[in-house]
Parts: sequence; structure tokens; C-alpha cells
Amino acid sequence: MSGKVKNFKELEGCVVIYTDNYLNDIEGVKLEDECDVFLNRGKKKIVIDFANTELVNSIGISILVGIMEKVKKRNGILFFSSLKKVNHDIFNMLGLTKHISIFQTEEEAIGKMLAHE
Amino acid sequence: MNDVAYGLERLLFNLDTLSELGEELTSPKDFNKIVKSSLYMIMGNFSAFKGAIFQFDHGKKTAKPIASKGIGDINDCVIKLEEETIKELVALKTPIDISSNKKATSFLGVGKTGLEKIKVRILAPLVVREDLLGLIAIGEKFSGEVYSKDDFRLLSVIAHHIAVSLHNQSLLRKLMGKYDENKKLYENLICIYYDTIHAFATAIDAKDAYTKGHSHRVSAYCAAIANEMKWSQDETEGIRIAGLLHDIGKIAIDKSIINKDRPLTNNEFVELNSHPVIGYEILSKVKFPWTGIPKMVRNHHERVDGRGYPDSLGSNEISLGSKIMTVADSFDAMTTDRPYRPSLTPDEVIMELKKNYNKQFDRDVLHNFFSIIRKEIVGENKPAIMPFLSSSFADELKTKVLNRTINLFSFEK
Repeated sequence: MSGKVKNFKELEGCVVIYTDNYLNDIEGVKLEDECDVFLNRGKKKIVIDFANTELVNSIGISILVGIMEKVKKRNGILFFSSLKKVNHDIFNMLGLTKHISIFQTEEEAIGKMLAHE
Repeated sequence: MNDVAYGLERLLFNLDTLSELGEELTSPKDFNKIVKSSLYMIMGNFSAFKGAIFQFDHGKKTAKPIASKGIGDINDCVIKLEEETIKELVALKTPIDISSNKKATSFLGVGKTGLEKIKVRILAPLVVREDLLGLIAIGEKFSGEVYSKDDFRLLSVIAHHIAVSLHNQSLLRKLMGKYDENKKLYENLICIYYDTIHAFATAIDAKDAYTKGHSHRVSAYCAAIANEMKWSQDETEGIRIAGLLHDIGKIAIDKSIINKDRPLTNNEFVELNSHPVIGYEILSKVKFPWTGIPKMVRNHHERVDGRGYPDSLGSNEISLGSKIMTVADSFDAMTTDRPYRPSLTPDEVIMELKKNYNKQFDRDVLHNFFSIIRKEIVGENKPAIMPFLSSSFADELKTKVLNRTINLFSFEK
């Protein structure tokens, strides 16, 4: 996650975090840290948008599972959006799609998130 | 996704993980980072949200976490393993499901409590050549699915790779330990070596009441000239050592001759003048890490006009090191009190050196020696010679050089 470019958008009611090109090494932990920051600030509705992400490997999955678990523990809501097919297939294969709502676009995810009580 | 497609997808994902794990384990990164990445790969591959890698300490018989995820701070979660448990883990070689395997529960003994605390589901021993190196402990899958036979097989392969890496890291650590130990020994030896040479120099000078510190000063002057003449650091160190030992042959000369305040008899002269040869014979038997030291010592009383001793060598036959030593030795003799005369004045010293230019002293060496004095006086060089001179001598020399009452380079005209 780049520190120079703003990689999140705070909306009233939810936060959208944009992932980098690759989510495939230990530096990706910064994404988990960033979610921690929002959760600690009481922001429990988070959308992670993967539009820029070409590849998610096992390390990336581990980081995302960590985020999913943390959001679940805080009774928050986590949506994924704009997943490339290859990444969607991996999530599906690992059985994660049963536990996370995935939307085609960021706007769709935000709409559903804001409508969620 | 049908079963075949799913199977293929899963196989490719597993292969990717294995390939990336291999790359990670052989990367030059910090070892803790490698272990952490490896743990994340395992957990991601099985979508587990709790996991840790423990390193086994043979001495303490404990497994200590070196990486963890999803468990919080588990640094104090040190798992004690009984001798029997260790044997069982080594014999296992494959991962076990500790939540369903009652046999596992029994042999883990007290270690089970620690693992239960962090909600471990699967335990994979890290074993290389019947040697337990650590443990991989992972919790439930996020999806809630059970671990399949294929998962166990894959974890077994991953565990083997990580075990080999831990083994290599342990070997490297031992090697580094030995390296540090040997480095310290080497540094101690170097200190002893230098201390011994300095002790010799002090012992040599102690024989002569008037030449206290002579060898140390000659050593410093030699190094300063060599440095000015752009000798390498190693060569400069060599002549510094040669300077310290240049009068070692005097150890064999009768003290009454060295300290005599009246003119020496012919026999006494012969005995005193034998010290370069005695020095050469003593030092020839020493294996120095620098070349030419015995020869420099033998020839430090040779003259470029061929009238020196012991071998009456011509200028071309005298090494540059010996020529440097001659200037350094003579300068110190002139600037210190002797039994038969007090120290010369700066005018007398410079005049004497110039008078013997191209006779006793080599032209280039003398030029460089004067150059150092000038540079030290005007502050161009870090003081290397001036600090050894008496303050009155140094002050007078400085004033006269700056006033141009003494012209250091006039002999060149």
C-alpha cells in the first residue's frame, strides 16, 4: 500500500480502501494495519476495492482472512468489490465467497453498505 | 466450477504457493521476515486465521514462537516438550490433527495446554535428519471446512521445506558464532603481537638512559615519511614496525658501551656497529606479515655515498625503507640529548641534514621529510613529527621556518 497516494475514501457511514497492484508479499500487512486503524476509530463498515489488483497470492489471502476475522469480531461489515476473475476464482476455491459479499463495482458495494442497517 | 476445474485450480494455487515458498526460503532477506512470510503463505493457502511457527531449543527443550498471526502477542507462549514427546514428534514426520487425534493428545503431554491456548488445530513437526527443529501450528479454516488429506500432504511438503531452511539457518548461526569467536581471537592475537613489539622497543630503549622513546619516535617518523611518499597502508605499517625494532641488535651490546660519555675505542666501535647485523639475524627468524623488515634494520646505517655500515652498500643497493629509516634515526639522534653532547638547535639540525644530502641521506627521502615538517608547521598535515620534539625546539623551528630564517629546501638549488 502506497503511503504517498491516498488509498482510501472516507464516506459518511463507511470507508473504501483501495488495494495496490499486487497483494502478494508481507508488505501487504499494511492493508490489515489500515483496516485496524479504521476499526479502532469505530468505523465498522469497510469496502475493499480490488480494481487495481492484478494478483492475490496465498500471503494476500492470509492478510484478507485476517481482516475478515477482525471485522467479524467487531460485528462490522466487510464487502469486496471489483475483483478480477482470477482473484474471484481463488476466493471461491478457498471457500471464502461463502463468507464475504463481493460486488462488481465499488459504487454497488457502497450502495449496499450504506443501505445496510 | 466443476470438480475437475476446481481440482486443477487448487493444484495450480498449491504449486504457486510452493514455488513462492521456495523463492522466499532461499532469499537473502532477514530470517525472521522469511519465517513470517512462510507462515502467511501456509495460512493463506488453507485460509486459516490463526497460526504460528515455533523454533525448538534443544538445550531448554522448549518450542518458542518465531512468527505468529491472528493470535495476538504470544511471545510468552513457550511450549515445554518432554523427551518422549520430542521422540514421538520426530517419529511422526507428518502433520497431525490434534483436536481429533486422542493419541496426539496423550504424547503432547504438558505441551498440549500451550497449544490449546492458541487454538491450534493442526500441528506439523519440523524435522531434519531425525532432529526436531520446530513446529508449525495452525488453527481452523476461516471457511469452517475440515482439513483434507491433500491439505495434510501439502502441509507436510511445506513443513519439510521450512525445516530445511531452519536447519540451514541454525548451521549458519553456529558458523557465524565460530566466525565471531575466531575474529575475537585474531584481534586479541594482533593486540598481543603489537604489545610484544612495543615491549621489545621499550626494552631496547631501556638499555640506553639517553634514548628513552627513541624507537617509538623513529617508528613514528618512518611512518610519516612513508605516508608522505604515498606508500600503501600495509607498507607503512611494515616500516612502522621496522622502526620500533631497528635497534633490537643493541640488546646484545654491552650497556657500558652504549652509555659511554667518552670517545669509544676501536673495539668498542666495532661492537656497537655490529648491532644492525645482530638485529638482522634476530629478525630474520621472525615471520612478519610485512616484507623487508630484517633488511631495513640491517641497512639503517648505510649511506647513499657507500660509506655506511655494515655492508658499505651503494645507493641503488639500499632499500627505500632503509633510506627512510636513516633519516628518521639521524633526526631523532640530533634532536635529543646524547651522553657526549646536548640536543642540536633547529638551525644545526637542518644544516646537518642538508650537509649530508646525497651523502648520508637520499635526496627524495630528505625532500619528503622537509615537506612534512613544512606542512605540519603551516597546518596542512596532521602533526606526526612535531609532537615528538621538545616544545622549545618545536617553537624555534616553527618560528624560523615561518620567518624564512630557515629555508628547508635551499639545498635543492
